Amino acid sequence: MGLSQVAVLASAQTELRPAWRDAQHIDLISSVVTSVFKGTGITIDDVDFVIDSGSDVLDGRSISNCGFLGALGAHHKEEARVEEDGLWGALYGVNKIRSGASSIGLIVAYSKPSESDIDLYWSSMVEPFYQRPVGFGQKAALGIQAQRYLAAYGIKDSALADIVVRRWAAAAANAWLAVDFVPDAAAVLAAGEAAAPLTKLMLSRPVDGAVAILLGNEDVARRMGRPPVFITGMGTSLETHSFAERSANRLDSVTKATAMALGKSGWASAAEADVVELSGSSVVGELLALEGLGLAAAGRGVDAALKDGVNASGGALPADPIMATGLVRLAEAAKRLSAPVRNGASAPSKAIVHGTGGVAMQNNCVFTLEV
Amino acid sequence: MGREVGIVGVGQTHHARRRTDVSQAGLVREAVNRALADAKLSMEDIDTVVIASGPVLFAAVNQPEKWVVDAIGAQGKSVVRLTSGGGAGFAGALAGYYQVAGGYSERTLVVAYDKLSEGQLQYSISTLYDPFWGREFAVGIMGFSAAYWRARMDVLGHTEEAAAIVAAKNRNNAIANPYAHQKKAVTVEDVLNSKPLCWPIKLLDVPPISDGAAAIVLASDKVAHHSTSRPAWIRGMAYCCEADNAPERSLMISEPLALASRQVYRAAGITNPRRQFDVVEVQEPYSCFELNYYESLGLCPPGQAAALAASGATQIDGDIPVNPSGGCMGANPIGAVGVIRLIEAATQVMGRNETHQIKDAKLALVQSGGGWANLRGCAVLSA
Amino acid sequence: MFYAPDTAPIELPTFHSTIAMPYTLTPGHSAGIFLAEMANHRIVASRFTDGKIIAPAQDFSPTDGEEPVELVQAPETGELTAFTRVDGQIIGLVRLDGCDNAFAHRILADLAELKVGQRVAVRWSVEEAGASIMAMAGFVLAPDAPLGVVKPLVGPAEPLGVVNYAMELNYEHAYGPYYGRLFDEIRENGVVMGVRGSSSDEALLPPREIDDITHKRTGTWKACADTGTIRACSLINMEVFGQTRPVPYAYAEIVLDGASTKMIHIIEIDDLESAKQTIKPGTRVRAIWTKGERKGAVSDIERFEVI
Repeated sequence: MGLSQVAVLASAQTELRPAWRDAQHIDLISSVVTSVFKGTGITIDDVDFVIDSGSDVLDGRSISNCGFLGALGAHHKEEARVEEDGLWGALYGVNKIRSGASSIGLIVAYSKPSESDIDLYWSSMVEPFYQRPVGFGQKAALGIQAQRYLAAYGIKDSALADIVVRRWAAAAANAWLAVDFVPDAAAVLAAGEAAAPLTKLMLSRPVDGAVAILLGNEDVARRMGRPPVFITGMGTSLETHSFAERSANRLDSVTKATAMALGKSGWASAAEADVVELSGSSVVGELLALEGLGLAAAGRGVDAALKDGVNASGGALPADPIMATGLVRLAEAAKRLSAPVRNGASAPSKAIVHGTGGVAMQNNCVFTLEV
Repeated sequence: MGREVGIVGVGQTHHARRRTDVSQAGLVREAVNRALADAKLSMEDIDTVVIASGPVLFAAVNQPEKWVVDAIGAQGKSVVRLTSGGGAGFAGALAGYYQVAGGYSERTLVVAYDKLSEGQLQYSISTLYDPFWGREFAVGIMGFSAAYWRARMDVLGHTEEAAAIVAAKNRNNAIANPYAHQKKAVTVEDVLNSKPLCWPIKLLDVPPISDGAAAIVLASDKVAHHSTSRPAWIRGMAYCCEADNAPERSLMISEPLALASRQVYRAAGITNPRRQFDVVEVQEPYSCFELNYYESLGLCPPGQAAALAASGATQIDGDIPVNPSGGCMGANPIGAVGVIRLIEAATQVMGRNETHQIKDAKLALVQSGGGWANLRGCAVLSA
Repeated sequence: MFYAPDTAPIELPTFHSTIAMPYTLTPGHSAGIFLAEMANHRIVASRFTDGKIIAPAQDFSPTDGEEPVELVQAPETGELTAFTRVDGQIIGLVRLDGCDNAFAHRILADLAELKVGQRVAVRWSVEEAGASIMAMAGFVLAPDAPLGVVKPLVGPAEPLGVVNYAMELNYEHAYGPYYGRLFDEIRENGVVMGVRGSSSDEALLPPREIDDITHKRTGTWKACADTGTIRACSLINMEVFGQTRPVPYAYAEIVLDGASTKMIHIIEIDDLESAKQTIKPGTRVRAIWTKGERKGAVSDIERFEVI
């Protein structure tokens, strides 16, 4: 028996906010698990399994999934906790449905970085004997990554600021993000130093939020009365933990993951995508991801970054719900492929989605979607 | 239905109370080297890797797969980590199973570990409790496990004696296990007389604290033959859960385990588990849980587990030996245990178990789980 | 999201929670020797079969996981290959002379003075002189430092077996409207309130918006009695870090009258043997509230006692 195709049936997310002061994790989770079914004709009873992404360190609880199972809708179902960005949870879900074992799966990702010490989340991720004691962590790695990139290609930080501004403007127009101000380029450059040469606004901004994706096999997808958004390719790759050993000015794992995904989808290149939703821990990280995807030559990421169709949602820079960011990208891309278009406009039919994890984007995952 | 997936190579460390010669990463490397060698493969032949371990607070490294990847030479590969308390290893193996069954990979390496000596086990596991509601009373997982046992004592007859029979059985079985480190012969009386810790759980009802890693190579039916002529095929595998604080939660039967077993037995064609299985490997965080599993897995009706234990049927020379490896009593590197149980069961049906080969074992049942005793799964293996 | 009747957002502070514990981390062979030799002011590196030299010493090559052939001693001078400043501290990547890789450490200079490619040299710490990579306080600019060489490591120290470490994680958890009201009622009125299940009159404790089983909205608020029934219990007879009273005592899951789900609490006991008879599933208990000022936490109930 052949392997089934898998589609994104629906998605739901809470508003992504710097702090959800009047909600607990279970409130954010149960909100998206309730909302994701509306209008689909499917209920929680139809779901075979739940894959959840969250972090014990951010949640302040060991085995945090087991305290949230009710809110996840996982009671008496199969459940799995992937302690990585939700896009990896989706990868698990797709494999499970493709195998034929299940027909409908729920993928949930969430976090409330506002409740925890984010610096400690990152510093606890580097090995404790050589890197952690010297203070090497996410910020130092991103700073070095940026310093090298700007020097290698002669990119001006004003070019970086323009991209940040564009992302924040898109985020302000996105109903799902809480953005009360849109910085201009001067404000981006004047924001305090985060990791020289990056200013605070050049790093992704952690926010609280939750997102849910409903996946289904082709049979189920076709009953929903509109063209299914199929996941046609997936790839992931994890680089070495030693940041200094990774290729300078390249995210090789993005390139690898892209090749894996394109190999499955049969696309000639990522440029076939009308919609590009990618994650990035910093503006330079986003550029490196664009180049790794093959959407720009080395050092030319700034050109691709300003194209229509790239991170129209705003991407991760204005809103980075750690552990959920990649799954939000999947939700945004799937929505765009399903949205109706005005007369005369051409409907987008392909999307490429990217999620990341680890210090300086050590781990990367790429999905291709097609209508 | 779908692609067949088999275990084609296994490897585990010699588990120890404390390994002072290797870091977490080094521990994982040992198990991986052994599993790859056993599968006659090198890391180049592996498509994807799944790493599983218990809660990160056990050993102070967040998302440790990102560090461990270097030690196993898997840089560049598809690597993901699963975690699920005591069920982490099993959950990792299940994710790996679906990578192969779903066509994402032909060969997936699953390695699970915990280095419990790095941290404070009881304190860190107590953080699974809700900080607002009850964490100050937490006594690791022992407090509630003992309480649930106490509830089953009256209703189901899971007496201290019955649990002691299990504890003695597993401790004595572990003596022959080359990978176990807790090897002391005990009698049922010894167990009953041991110090109450969280009564009714007593010292000898409790497994040791261990450092250890275990790895398996999963392969599709297409490429399995490169590694072995006798893979342990996974005929069914599932991992279910229940909300931990819901009104209808049964303390008597593990409903998630019962649900998982129903699904797995259907997939594997099991209609009479008591008679069909040749060998069973279960993860008993305390001896009392094994009695609960007999009933939840349908090896006996509810209320009959004590009788089953007393009958000798689950002893190593009984007709349905349970934990011939010694179970957790010989070694308990929590996050690795699910994979250790899979290894012990797989090697039984492959005819090469190193502790005690059950004669003509063809069909094996594996159970694993964790959390608030609310994450539970099982698998059926056959060769 | 929707709020059930009687539930409204309350302007509450956050709930502070700390997770803090000590660790004894194991560095393993190569790192163990590196750390031990830090006390001797020697920098240990690993040499691999292809001749590559990696510092600090590793048991596995960061590029391909290969095991090293031998340990060697790296010089104290090298090249600055990258740098940044975080929270006022310069972190840079340094490639020691003779080594093939760079590693992160502190650079003791001002950002304005630095350029990629500059020569740097170790400054050993005065305060931190032990078996830690911080025995090197950092690297200083050393423009005239001659090229150092990698030497054999003569008489390596025994590897450090464990590194003492500690982690302290602090959290500020939001109460949310449900926990907010729950603890508000506990503090103000000395009453435990839950919400009715989506299809039952009994109260769910702790209260929440969505029923765990049906995943439907829960119902109205309901006060639970001070009395209840033990559903499960165990007798705690061992000491664990963080306990609030001396052993032995009973740990109990108690279903208050009016509720359908448990709350966890403790019952004081005299001794194990008599407690086995008097405290069991089905035993009726009553909450003993604190005599002092209530804070709005579970500990406002001091304990339960058998009735």
